[in-house]
Amino acid sequence: MTMAIQPLHAGFVGKVSGIDITRPLSRDEVASIEAGVDCYAVLVFHDQPLTDEQQCIFSQNFGELEVTLIGQLSKPEDRRLGDRLELGDISNLDARNQVRARDDEKRMYALANRLWHSDASFRAHGAGYTLLHARIVPSKGGNTEFADMRAAYDALDAATKAEIEDLVCEHSILFSREQIGFAVRDDGNADKLRPVRHRLVSIHPATGRKSLYLASHIGGIVGWPVPEARAFIRDLMEHATQPQFLYAHAWRTDDLVMWDNRTTMHRARRFDDLREVRDMRRTSIKGTGVAAVPVPVAAE
Amino acid sequence: MTLTIHQLTPVFAGKVSGVDLTQPLSRDAVTAIEAGMDRYAVLVFHDQKLTDAQQQVFSRNFGELEHTGGGNITKMTDRRLDPYMADVSNLDKDHRPLARDARTRMFNLGNRLWHSDSSFRAVPAKYSLLSGRIVVDQGGQTQFADMRAAYDALDKATKAEIEDLVCEHSLIYSRGTLGFTDLTDEERAMMRPVRQRLVRTHPVTGRKSLFLSSHIGTIVGWPMPEARAFIRDLAEHATRREFTYAHTWRQWDLVMWDNRQLMHRVTRFDDTQVRDMRRTTVAGDGLTVAQAA
Repeated sequence: MTMAIQPLHAGFVGKVSGIDITRPLSRDEVASIEAGVDCYAVLVFHDQPLTDEQQCIFSQNFGELEVTLIGQLSKPEDRRLGDRLELGDISNLDARNQVRARDDEKRMYALANRLWHSDASFRAHGAGYTLLHARIVPSKGGNTEFADMRAAYDALDAATKAEIEDLVCEHSILFSREQIGFAVRDDGNADKLRPVRHRLVSIHPATGRKSLYLASHIGGIVGWPVPEARAFIRDLMEHATQPQFLYAHAWRTDDLVMWDNRTTMHRARRFDDLREVRDMRRTSIKGTGVAAVPVPVAAE
Repeated sequence: MTLTIHQLTPVFAGKVSGVDLTQPLSRDAVTAIEAGMDRYAVLVFHDQKLTDAQQQVFSRNFGELEHTGGGNITKMTDRRLDPYMADVSNLDKDHRPLARDARTRMFNLGNRLWHSDSSFRAVPAKYSLLSGRIVVDQGGQTQFADMRAAYDALDKATKAEIEDLVCEHSLIYSRGTLGFTDLTDEERAMMRPVRQRLVRTHPVTGRKSLFLSSHIGTIVGWPMPEARAFIRDLAEHATRREFTYAHTWRQWDLVMWDNRQLMHRVTRFDDTQVRDMRRTTVAGDGLTVAQAA
């Protein structure tokens, strides 16, 4: 069995075959996967019946795991997946494995995953890779869509490229939640909610390609009036999510999809979450993502 | 000179020729324009050198004019134009471009979001008529999206789900989306949310359309975040390229559209340059749904 990657679009999204990621991988296999995700930005692996433990082991091939913000913000008794804070619970289930009620606060928080974003862009180091594994999928809806931020950057006109080259955006989990009318409570976590700054144009460390570092976590552009910044960011988001830059992943049980947050945005689509279960587990690689721009003290 | 209408996209929008809008119109001409509006939902007239007074006379052929009060944060005493002319320019009272951080400019940036004029009023607008007095040579297009075609393209399950939904509209919501929340108590009172049906039926053609607008902040009976996520999905569907027409302005264009059947927005431009557009609005003739007590 030899690992092979079949591109689904020109240079964007690769379907990986010939590999069993439930078992330990060779150094060559890890290198091939890394080269694949650098090239295609999104990799799809079918039929990988991973346990939580196996997903963590596979993910650690690519770096140290990030703990999830929602895990950090949740009380231990409210965590369905126990103490493993590096395993993100991307489900519509509560700690007793029951479907969350319509007005459940965690459901409100998670609804913002329906907005285009890049994982953990609200941290000083945005996530590098994210790995999402499907345990239970709904019969309809609940796709994950991906947008290629390199192609979106390339397609900008020269004037826009020049205009945005040195722009710096402010990201916070508060901003994305605010977009859908949900106020995240501080509860002593002010440090995790404080906006961080990232360049709008990022350069991939391996390929050198430029991409737009966009996310619904953006609330402003440094030096711009807020409404003007938001209107402009919306225009850029609309540009970057045109059909020609997109891939919609329709989930099958035991799919693992791995993507590079430095070169893509993604979002979840609606499904009947009051009646059907969607249970996905997420791991993210820490600190290899886009690095925040230091905040000059004088400017504060 | 005969009035003729040439369709601009496969879906909607018409270009009208053979009529001078600065002159009083015959009953036949008015009827032909109304029929055109019912069919195309947006009509473009080139080379119409209208004064404010002439624009108002032409607009009154289609109903009562809407008073601009309650639609903006600009005080009546700070306005550049008369109270029946909506000032869709980037100019202050002294005809100078607004400063980058001017409060009025911040507020008016909300026009870059898809909306239906006056959907934040209990009785929303019928037609808007926008005259291009000074236009910019780059950007500043007005884009339109056909909410009838968008409705028709929904799947059956979605049509059934939304049939009786009622949304709450307010300027507070559209401006809040852009992070403009610096409003006085008086302004907040003026912008109190109103209710509108999400699916409307056109009184003449009987066609259904989506009554969407960035002024929507929630759906009655839904948790707000779920409502907003859903409305965003619907707005994204409704503004797919095949449902849109982008109007590139020439000086003295008059564009009129039916807010009951369309959304529209302005695209970005270098607003250190002057863009002077003036709008008259024909008032609607009723509520779309009973208002909350």
